[in-house]
Amino acid sequence: MIDFEPSEEQRLVRESVAEFARSTLAPRVREVERARAVPEDVRRLAHEMGLGTAGVPESAGGQGLGMLTTVLLEEELGAADAGAAFGLAGPGAFGTAVTELGTPDQIRALLADFSDSEGYARFGAVAWSESAPRRDRAGFSTTATRAADGGYVLTGKKAFVTNAHLADRFLVFAQVDDAAGWGGLGAFVVRRGDPGVVVGARHDTLGLDAADFGEIELAGAVVAEGARLLGDAGEGGFTRATLRFFAKRALIVAARAVGLARFAFDLARDHCEMRTAFGKPIGHFQAVAFALADRHMDVESARWLLWSAASAWDAASAGKYERALHATAQAAASALEAAMRMADDCVGLHGGSGFIRDVVAEKLMRDAKQLALCCPTAEQLDQLATALELGAPLDPALVLPTPDAQAIFT
Amino acid sequence: MIDFTLSKKQRELKEGIHGLGKYVIRPMSLDMDRKHEVPESFLRNFMAMASSFRGSAGHFGSESTDEEKPRAAAPHDGGGRVSESNRTAAVGAEELAWADAALLLSLPGPGLGAPPVRSTGTPEQKKRFFDMFAGMDKGPLRWGAYGLTEPGAGSDVAGIRTSCRKDGDHWVLNGRKCYITNGGRAIWTVIFATVDPSQGRAGHRAFVVEKGTPGFEVGKIEEKMGLRANETAELVLEDCRVPDANLLGGEEAYRSKEGFMAAMKTFDTTRPLVGAMAVGIGRAAYEHARDFVKANYLLGRPLPRYAALAERLARVGRRLEAARLLVWRAVYMADLAQPNAKEASMAKAAAGQAAIFACTEAIQICGAHGSLATEHALLEKWFRDIKVYDIFEGTGNIQRVVISKRLMPSIKAF
Repeated sequence: MIDFEPSEEQRLVRESVAEFARSTLAPRVREVERARAVPEDVRRLAHEMGLGTAGVPESAGGQGLGMLTTVLLEEELGAADAGAAFGLAGPGAFGTAVTELGTPDQIRALLADFSDSEGYARFGAVAWSESAPRRDRAGFSTTATRAADGGYVLTGKKAFVTNAHLADRFLVFAQVDDAAGWGGLGAFVVRRGDPGVVVGARHDTLGLDAADFGEIELAGAVVAEGARLLGDAGEGGFTRATLRFFAKRALIVAARAVGLARFAFDLARDHCEMRTAFGKPIGHFQAVAFALADRHMDVESARWLLWSAASAWDAASAGKYERALHATAQAAASALEAAMRMADDCVGLHGGSGFIRDVVAEKLMRDAKQLALCCPTAEQLDQLATALELGAPLDPALVLPTPDAQAIFT
Repeated sequence: MIDFTLSKKQRELKEGIHGLGKYVIRPMSLDMDRKHEVPESFLRNFMAMASSFRGSAGHFGSESTDEEKPRAAAPHDGGGRVSESNRTAAVGAEELAWADAALLLSLPGPGLGAPPVRSTGTPEQKKRFFDMFAGMDKGPLRWGAYGLTEPGAGSDVAGIRTSCRKDGDHWVLNGRKCYITNGGRAIWTVIFATVDPSQGRAGHRAFVVEKGTPGFEVGKIEEKMGLRANETAELVLEDCRVPDANLLGGEEAYRSKEGFMAAMKTFDTTRPLVGAMAVGIGRAAYEHARDFVKANYLLGRPLPRYAALAERLARVGRRLEAARLLVWRAVYMADLAQPNAKEASMAKAAAGQAAIFACTEAIQICGAHGSLATEHALLEKWFRDIKVYDIFEGTGNIQRVVISKRLMPSIKAF
């Protein structure tokens, strides 16, 4: 039955995260931005709450919260500081990827220690994108070749890796089968400090300053057979599992975007009620009021789309998640765009003051644009949605966020 | 618990209407549009069928007379029972509009006249006016109507000029109403008039004016861009004498401003349903374009390989889905008896525009094929039908006024 009421447990989780976001993250937005990192005391607090491991399966020491609860709590983080949401400790995208691509043993081995007492200082990362596309064929430049004595040798450079400088473990996507193009990928776990794993430069980015984005280089790094994650069994199983990872990641990033948009809406609305021009609050003028009304519709509908997609994941069973995938593509594309429109209007409705860094509006606008690149983009998600809608075979070149046209931050 | 799946009853309703729509209604859709008429034989069959879906199909206009009883009940949180009727109505309205929106608006019953009678009428009036719709299975079909808009006042409801003055135990009404859905055939119409235009809304009175009352005539039947199978009429009141007993709610109801507000409140349940219908039409166009893309080739490549087309389809798809969820949110709140004026307006505003976007894009995607009134006949019809969904029941701009008022309560006027 159509119902918009969170369960008691979901309400409690949301309320406690909202409280953390309000009292701990929100007052320190600019401090965290300047430091380009989330300070240890904040990470310790978040770790005590189990925020970083909310989505990690219980069998691997996490809370095993469903997607719906995850989306609820991520919106609250995004409403305070979307940048800090990436810089709180935990497995992050690495956790989602490992959960989708790994075996139960691999999931336990790779994620369990995120819940221990040192977890506040542990990060994981996914190395997917590359700074330039290959021109001679489809697929990544980074390769994984068979080593003489078993295992693989990874060679190449990865870019746009979230938490590149903080992570102690990486999931590296590399070309295993040159001839198979985007269908010939493999995923391998490497650790910081392994021979041949070199962390490169940190990117200077438009927004999300508190989050760390950078490059890593694989200079002949050797990985054991057991460190390869194979995804689902059967033909196309690796693509399917990878697609699930990106879809769930998109939902999490989009939930932060909805939080950001909510914050931007409140900021804009308060300004429109306070600021006067021609003797009246500017919200009195229809050009202003209707812009707010339109953005409010955007933000509310984006939230319901996310809830709908998340509940589809929670109801999905192994092998039957097409509806969830489709709903996610629609929801995340809408939410990322809605957040950008909202942040843009928030700056615009503030007028000149929106452009000055005394007001947080300018940060929201930069963060919104950067957020839209931290998971499959709206354009990529739209291609995915239509492919699913037309019942087309899931061509990895079309449905995965390959860096051929638009590279994304992972 | 957060949930976006339909109940068993809603699924059955949706599937039932879908089958009927696909195999019976759509094949006669263009013919009805050209003849400006929904065949009576079809309406009779439909009503008989709808009564088997007890309580849910009633919302399309063929209102049942047991207005006070919740039409459907479902367990809620294991505790009290909460009606699901507005949600079920939204599911049904979307599906029937997917088949043919003009037909939906032409279904017999009190239609848009029902909400004001239900919210403002005395118990005696409710019984009298709703009982008139009993026995349609054997007797003639009957309609009700809602007469608010005038040539000089639409969105600015407070500006209506139709006058009413007390004369003994009657009221004398003078004025003109226009764009009245089913106005010509209605057995009664709720007519809004004013005792004194200078009083604004405080001067408003609502009357149930019965067909055949001397001085109450049907004027012009309008030719329209779309929804042609549905009747839109002008109504003329010339020294029309309406008995006291037909003043909705009696004189006491107008001592305070609430009398008028009650009449406006009806929009909180009707607007989301108009939104649901818009989503239904938009979905019809979207599915048509999707199937066209699936079946066609350009330069030897299947159309879906063209990313720009895939992008257009996806944008339409997600805007419709967003609109549907805003509709569901509004009807969910209505079922829980929560104030939902803002949400009702958001549902209507978003759905009207999303569906216009869908119909426009669908024609664009299909190219010249999309505008033909033969091969892809329904696509051009839906394009004509949908525009008014951003106009009637309050234009898009009026919805934004309603939304703005609730977003910025400190600001008095927009």
